[in-house]
Amino acid sequence: MNEQNPAEPQRREFFKQIGAAGVVAFSARDEARLDKLVADGAMDAPQDDLNWQKAPCRFCGTGCGVMVGCKDGKVMAVRGDEASPVNRGLLCVKGYHLPAMLYGEDRLTHPQLRDGDGWKQISWDEALDLIAEKFSSTLEENGPESVAVYGSGQWGVHDGYAALKWVKGGMRSNNLDPNARLCMASAVMGFMTQFQSDEPMGCYEDLEAAEDFVLWGNNMAEMHPVLFSRMLENKRLNPGVRIVDIGTRRTPTSEYADMYMEIKPGSDLALANGVLHLLLKKKQIDRSFINENVVFKRGIEDLDEIGYGCYGENAEKYTFKDKASDSSLEELETFLADYSPEKVAEITGLQAAQIEALATMYGDQGRNTLSLWCMGVNQHTRGTWMNNLITDLHLITGKISRPGNNPFSLTGQPSACGTAREVGTLSNRLPADMVVMNAEHRATAEKIWGLEAGTINPKPGYHAVDMFRALSRGDIKAMWIQVTNPWVSMPNLNRFKRSPGDGRFIVVSDIYPTPTTDVADLILPSAGWVEREGVFGNTERRTQQWQKLAEPPGEAKEDAWQIMEVAKRMGMGNLFPWPEDDWHEAMFEEYRSFGLGIGKDLASYKELRETRGMIWPVVDGRETRYRYAAGFDPYVKKSKGVHFYKAKGYGEKAAFWLRPYHPPAEVPDDDYPFWLCTGRVLEQWHTGSMTRRIKQLHQATPTAYVEINRADATRLGIKSGDRVRLKSRRGELVLPAAVDGRGKPPAGSVFVPFFDESLLINDLTLDAMDCISKEPDYKKCAVQVAKA
Amino acid sequence: MKLLARASLVLICLLAACSDEAVSEDLKISVPEVVGAYKSTASVRADRRLFDGAPPVMPHDNFGANCISCHNRQGMSVPGIGFAPPPPHSNTAPPSAMSRCQQCHIAALSEDLFRENSFVGLRQDLRKGERQNSLAPPVIPHQVLLRENCAACHTGPAAREEIRCSHPERLRCAQCHLQQRSASEFMR
Ligand code: SF4
Repeated sequence: MNEQNPAEPQRREFFKQIGAAGVVAFSARDEARLDKLVADGAMDAPQDDLNWQKAPCRFCGTGCGVMVGCKDGKVMAVRGDEASPVNRGLLCVKGYHLPAMLYGEDRLTHPQLRDGDGWKQISWDEALDLIAEKFSSTLEENGPESVAVYGSGQWGVHDGYAALKWVKGGMRSNNLDPNARLCMASAVMGFMTQFQSDEPMGCYEDLEAAEDFVLWGNNMAEMHPVLFSRMLENKRLNPGVRIVDIGTRRTPTSEYADMYMEIKPGSDLALANGVLHLLLKKKQIDRSFINENVVFKRGIEDLDEIGYGCYGENAEKYTFKDKASDSSLEELETFLADYSPEKVAEITGLQAAQIEALATMYGDQGRNTLSLWCMGVNQHTRGTWMNNLITDLHLITGKISRPGNNPFSLTGQPSACGTAREVGTLSNRLPADMVVMNAEHRATAEKIWGLEAGTINPKPGYHAVDMFRALSRGDIKAMWIQVTNPWVSMPNLNRFKRSPGDGRFIVVSDIYPTPTTDVADLILPSAGWVEREGVFGNTERRTQQWQKLAEPPGEAKEDAWQIMEVAKRMGMGNLFPWPEDDWHEAMFEEYRSFGLGIGKDLASYKELRETRGMIWPVVDGRETRYRYAAGFDPYVKKSKGVHFYKAKGYGEKAAFWLRPYHPPAEVPDDDYPFWLCTGRVLEQWHTGSMTRRIKQLHQATPTAYVEINRADATRLGIKSGDRVRLKSRRGELVLPAAVDGRGKPPAGSVFVPFFDESLLINDLTLDAMDCISKEPDYKKCAVQVAKA
Repeated sequence: MKLLARASLVLICLLAACSDEAVSEDLKISVPEVVGAYKSTASVRADRRLFDGAPPVMPHDNFGANCISCHNRQGMSVPGIGFAPPPPHSNTAPPSAMSRCQQCHIAALSEDLFRENSFVGLRQDLRKGERQNSLAPPVIPHQVLLRENCAACHTGPAAREEIRCSHPERLRCAQCHLQQRSASEFMR
């Protein structure tokens, strides 16, 4: 700063201004001293005030409000937005370091086309024409199943909606899936199977209203730091608050837990059933609530029939479909006979007394209980089941849709809810909980979009993992990837290795080069975060809008614009009939019309512009903090209690699902004796393409590492920092050891974060999937561990 | 009328400015020898944060100890290392929203960069605390949230003299110093 010392004119200007206002700021002594600081370059000359505007944080699903300070088209600072009901002014270290995320020197600034081993810069017109030409010819030659768009829970609502409309309404394909399939799909299927409507009933105020917190496989201290803070603040003000941490390793979250329950990987299914067993046995269930509001369902439970989607018959295409049958409370009682505390203790590795303690919490009608979960439960070969079971605990005790009593699924990405789930950018979905398999739903969408009846394809497309398998097989020939980095984040990466020139055409839109742009045929530079106008939807159903505040570098353009331009060139311009310089509001209002009047009512664009986000359903300008709850939800006409009005298929009741314990897909054995779990760390966002370019965040976590238990380390002669070789049946990797680091796995298991593109742990992970949601399980596979 | 008021204000200010040298000599704050001894220079301070207002990184290794055992209410001088200033936040004892220091303050384990970054952040501007006139208390030019403990930065042996408080015995700072806010902060 100030190398040329531009301070002097600015300084005079400053004094002139304050002089005119009749204010004298400093004494002569102060002035001389400050002048010297400015001259030394130690301090800035008085600056024009930055322009401070609101925006949601770009990173996690918490959706903190930030005030963004900009000047001359650049972001220069952020601070926590005190007016935001989400974070009330607090951020986490990622949020505070947001501004530098946009200014890595290797930002992509121009479209680039593969040219032999290198790249050649081309114009936007050439790039867009080329994509249109490739997608059109692929469609013509190979049909709608041969094109695909792989998107993101970090897409803004506009981007996702543009992609959905283009793929489903324009190309008549359903090969549209987001990376949210890798993180939230099990939660989606959990809510859909139980309430026939996606997303949690509660809101963040639950964090103050609850007294007992049960964290199911959720390292909230690192993954949802600001929500964790809200929970701890509740505990400060109310010392009776208790936190239970159920996990497969000790994390920073465990340090604040009143009870830490270390379970064997995958045994959470048994634990939840064990708790249900005790609730029934001790008659701590809410019979009148159940009679009024709950139906019992059972699905397919045969292990061989279901499989894991990664080996055996379904190693290539995983098509398992669950089938519901009616069940009852009586049947549940018999079903749960298998889950006595002793039996569950054996499966989980817990003590029976701990299981009883947990059951007592759920069963205590005098206390509010909140269950929280995220990837531990979702990235699970029976993730939908586990989502079901947690919600079951709340249904059977009636602890649901009341402040402080809810099953509250936390989302990972900033708009996994807003874009992936609400817009429905999944291979089987349409906006507002609708699906392509349903003729009525298709007709609704066709009507809103002004398309001919029968346009939308009724056959669901590929889900994420299958999409990449299909790409490797060659069934998909043209693919567009936006805002995500699958060549780091997909499980069992070795399966998807690709060499350019293999007859497939891959377009990647991003803001930085990544291992995914490395394998692309065409790279498009995107505008990021506040370089464009947008909307995100966070975990608590809050839709948040922001204006464009900074200029994108070079020729970078927003993702939605890229899609619309290609669609126009393919003769599908009718899908996007809005003026080129003013379409955000019109597009949002069209999208919003999908949910109006059916309990998925989003706030209007105008309301969103003027507020710090609003929690849907928004009816007559009023938010709904607790869905399905009388007195909170305008769709509930009762005077008290709850009404699960979206679950038409269950007689407007919620479904309680009986779900058994199944073992994980791959379990350690003599050859591969260790469990491998993977995940994120506080400082890095997902694959690190943004956060690693920020000095402070990178230097705090410069490389991936393997957390290993001290006893194992001693036995294997490994010290912290030593190089360790991990090997699975799929790949191997050498990386530094962390003994007694921030996470402490128990003996027999190791943990590796996945943010490091040069140490790809996903070369080792298994692509086993949840049977219903098809979300991969990144948390459990078997490896060898040795000093390298 | 307005003009007149303004003119007289300017006059008063000018008078105040003229007599400033003499007055400030008299009012010079006497500080004990150690005060300021542990003060970091402005550029060192700037190096520890991405921009003015961002949480500083830990300037020392992660000792593995509980942060508030040194960064306690009074702060602590550690011979040979420096002064561990008190946290500017309120309620840092666990459990509380402020008790997980690592949520915002991280330590560098490496000096490498992954990629170059050309971000230019807001720098500290010590002239921002404007006064209505020379006798008026300056406004608080920064966010107060997370900086509730004014004493942490404005008093003690690590306080910079530019912002050192001349009257630490008066404990209710907010009685005279108000936070400056922008209009957009009042939106719903
Ligand atoms: S908690 Fe999430 S949303 Fe909030 S500042 Fe941190 S990364 Fe951003």
